[in-house]
Amino acid sequence: MIGRLIDWLHDRTGIRTIREVLFDEPLPPGTGWFFTLGSVLLALIGIQVLTGAFLTLYYAPTPDHAYDSVRFISSTTAGRLVRGLHHFGASFIVVAAALHMLRVIGFGSYKPPRELTWLSGLGALGLILAFALTGYLLPWDQRAYWATVVTINISKLAPVAGDVVAGIMRGGSAIGALTLTRWYAAHVIFLPAILIAIVAAHLVLMRRQGISGPVRTHKGPSTAFFPAQTARDVTVVSIVVIALFVLAWRGMPAMEGPADPTDATFIPRPEWYFLGLFQLLKYFPGKLEVVGAIIIPTVLGALLALLPWLDRGPERDPRRRRVVTVGVLVGVVAVVALTTLGWRDKPASAAAADTWSMRAIGGRQFAANAKCARCHSESGMADPLEQVSMSRGPEWLAGHVADPEMIAPGLREPPAAVTEREAAALVAYVRQVTREPYPGYPQPIETAAGVWARYCVGCHVIDGDGGSDGPELSHIGSKHDTAALREWIVDPEAAKPDTDMPAFGKRLTAAQLDAIAQYLANRK
Amino acid sequence: MSHPVDSSVSPGRRRALVLLVNGAVAAIGGALSALLGVFALKPAAAASRDRWIRAGALSDLEPSVPAVRVLVVPRIDGWYRARAPQTVFLVWDGKKDVRAVSATCTHLGCQVHWDGKDHKFRCPCHGGVYDPSGKVLEGPPPRPLDSLDARIDSADDTVLVRL
Repeated sequence: MIGRLIDWLHDRTGIRTIREVLFDEPLPPGTGWFFTLGSVLLALIGIQVLTGAFLTLYYAPTPDHAYDSVRFISSTTAGRLVRGLHHFGASFIVVAAALHMLRVIGFGSYKPPRELTWLSGLGALGLILAFALTGYLLPWDQRAYWATVVTINISKLAPVAGDVVAGIMRGGSAIGALTLTRWYAAHVIFLPAILIAIVAAHLVLMRRQGISGPVRTHKGPSTAFFPAQTARDVTVVSIVVIALFVLAWRGMPAMEGPADPTDATFIPRPEWYFLGLFQLLKYFPGKLEVVGAIIIPTVLGALLALLPWLDRGPERDPRRRRVVTVGVLVGVVAVVALTTLGWRDKPASAAAADTWSMRAIGGRQFAANAKCARCHSESGMADPLEQVSMSRGPEWLAGHVADPEMIAPGLREPPAAVTEREAAALVAYVRQVTREPYPGYPQPIETAAGVWARYCVGCHVIDGDGGSDGPELSHIGSKHDTAALREWIVDPEAAKPDTDMPAFGKRLTAAQLDAIAQYLANRK
Repeated sequence: MSHPVDSSVSPGRRRALVLLVNGAVAAIGGALSALLGVFALKPAAAASRDRWIRAGALSDLEPSVPAVRVLVVPRIDGWYRARAPQTVFLVWDGKKDVRAVSATCTHLGCQVHWDGKDHKFRCPCHGGVYDPSGKVLEGPPPRPLDSLDARIDSADDTVLVRL
């Protein structure tokens, strides 16, 4: 029955030739496991296309909603899995593409007549990296935002065209809505269209010239792709796909907070496959930066592109092509070493962002004073503070905590007045409490935090947060004891007549003075 | 092009290989299809919940005369937090009781208006007519206007409606 249907279709469309093209491809004898990597790449690209297409069902490419929509996607098991497959699939593709390229170089498969197959493959690799870069911005979290800031600034280093290129990538005058829609369009429309064309060309060329086969010609007749080689391909593809599912099942790396251009505590780090480049930049400070960012990658890319013309001899055995083999090995070692160094070179303060800052602890008291819970409660008009969506920009939040009436008119009585510093502390508190429950701090620390967040933070820095008019106080306890600090805060001019710091003796209660002096003295 | 039969593969081995290829492709394809199907068809349920919304002061109402109020209702729509305006009529009995009636016609969802002269709700779309309590008098509506929970907050004499 099905056979007769296919016969009918074949008579009108020639459909059976598809099978011949796909499965009856003659392979040189000795073709084996090394030649499965192309199929792995093809399968992974297929999974990216499918999961990506389905992710667009829920994703919204606007700064106001991108973060929320990604969080929404991650709120179901299926969503987490689909996003996980797409996320880790990107890494898998980079690895598979690199291995495929190393196989081609090792077997000398780029030699005539396959120069164009080689070039199209290299083009596809470039596109894969462009996919990785553009896709990275889409969740619009801190990591995404800052990685994009760095990418666009690197592109500015390009000679002559740098500013134009950066402008094209940015879309608008700053990274924002226009950047996001631009990168989204590139990621889901333009890049896929080009990739499909290049991959099609790559496959047509491969099929036309046949695969290169083992380095030394084996004896015997050529074999068909189906079923022996197909089975090898399918076996490796299955192992890779199972590994991908396992990774996706075990979970995504957590989303950072929403993109916040004003947040100085966040330390951006690129995805692992760009860590090597990231590390390279550290060795070229100042004006030399362009060497690490543009010149070295361009030269390497050009060398790879010219490989078929640099290595002209007919010899394919890597042991007899010493220059190429050694060069590529050095390159691989360099990339692995740079990536490892970049991986290990984690700034120590990266962890500090996860702990409660004094500002956030202080903000909790201001939240209680401002009666936020009148609306932000389980039975109230708005979600409890622990569950609010912090997807809004800092200006909106500052405006809302300073005057909720402005954001939600008519919904409540006019709010208690909140100062600018209290507003900043409230924002810090809500940002923290939506990530983790309030752990509880001893009363003196809370009191000190209230004082810190309302007064000290205007001029002093602790753990990277605060104003810069006064000295940094992160380790003040190693210089002064509690009594000295308390006296200083009560009346700074008594100790140093020309100081700019105002006296707090009359503004703070005795308990507040004790608490803040004690807290600072403990900062050693 | 003829079908070159791979002579290096015995018939039994060939059958096993075909089984392996078909099985693996079916397993991967099946798993992906199932996952993407669930993902597409079952998004996270919207977590909207009913809230008591302040609908105005009792002193603004006349006994037994439906008064129209547009209430702004926070709605969670997937990833989007909307403030959806919703029209309700408040009907006060002149004493301790207030009823709230949805303005959405039960026929096809148009918004009814209050005809003060005839003392009836009229739907502008297909001629549905309701009495002040929401009961159908004429036209195609299949059931009375939906009534909503309403109460008077005795602390400040305002009307609360649950939406």
